[in-house]
Amino acid sequence: MNKYLLNGVYSLLALIVISAFAFKIFQPIQVLPRIRLSPAFDMLDQDWMRLTNEDVRGQMVLYTFTYTNCPSPCHDIDKTMQEIQARLSEADLGETKMSFITISFDPQIDSPLVLRAHAKSIDADTDQWKFVTSPNEALLKTIIGSGFHAYYEKTPDNSFTFDPTFVLVDGWGIIRGEYKYQTEVSTADRILRHISVLADEVQNSSGPQKVAYEAAHLFLCYAP
Amino acid sequence: MSAKNMHINVYERNWMIFSAIMLVLFATAVSVAAFGMGIQVPAPEQRVDPRTVATDPNSPWSNPGLREVSPGRYDAYILAHAIPNWEYLPKEITVPVGSRVSFYVTSSDVQHGFNIQNTNANFMVLPGQVSKLTITFKNPGTYNFICTEYCGVGHGVMYGAIIVTP
Repeated sequence: MNKYLLNGVYSLLALIVISAFAFKIFQPIQVLPRIRLSPAFDMLDQDWMRLTNEDVRGQMVLYTFTYTNCPSPCHDIDKTMQEIQARLSEADLGETKMSFITISFDPQIDSPLVLRAHAKSIDADTDQWKFVTSPNEALLKTIIGSGFHAYYEKTPDNSFTFDPTFVLVDGWGIIRGEYKYQTEVSTADRILRHISVLADEVQNSSGPQKVAYEAAHLFLCYAP
Repeated sequence: MSAKNMHINVYERNWMIFSAIMLVLFATAVSVAAFGMGIQVPAPEQRVDPRTVATDPNSPWSNPGLREVSPGRYDAYILAHAIPNWEYLPKEITVPVGSRVSFYVTSSDVQHGFNIQNTNANFMVLPGQVSKLTITFKNPGTYNFICTEYCGVGHGVMYGAIIVTP
């Protein structure tokens, strides 16, 4: 074989290896992992309107799970949701739409009417933030438990034990972030940063740039 | 024959050069990652506050134990602590056979270990960090878990069990 050709092949190989290392070490692009598919659902929101997972396709959605009858002191889920909405301008969303969905796992008490009153009492912007539930409790358990992997359980006194959980889903219906416990960085800060990273991927990951974003997935360049 | 005139096959020589380059490359990459970028595993985002992790009502470890997330799928939040008496909370977990259990283990004081016998689960438990591992228990029986990192005089009595019922 031609000596120059051989050297060329070696140089090319070396270049590929070096680029791969450089990409992993310096992580010019960071992405969020594709964890699994988000579950399908069909529920009622606070205005008795049907809301399904297809309605929010193409938007980033932050889900959380709670019940309005939660005795105080309860988990600060609503506060975290509101903080994220108030500071949403910090994340560069571009054209990407973002919505918020709180699923109640207590349909016996949380009828759409109660959910509407709750939304009003915390002054929630219901255009962007929906409060939904389904009268079918077995279905709710399947959606929240099997689908979102969020824990809740009814106690004998009709209250619930649950772990405050947030789930970030992208416009393709893929779960990209799960937040199950408070870390040194506040949950709102973490989620806001992840929203930025996700919006960045949604906006820029097309054409030749898509290859770079896929490489970031391949090399597990996940945003902390 | 001097080394200068020694004949080396051209392929062999090229491969030798290639391996040398690889060695240099790996060494450089490791050095850059370790010293240049700083080893930060895991990131602060995964760090919990060990002082409040067992007491904060918003923290799952304030109420450690097993949660059935959906049929056959469990989250087990386990707190390891040396103070006051070297133990895991909870000490015993019972699940039916075939269960898929995700363990979230952290420590509220010093470094511990977590090794479930007869499984491939074996990891360190560090204060301020959450170690996560998912295991499916396919066979019934008692799976003891023990502390594998020396954590003080009570290290030897620090154990618990996962009982997999048929």
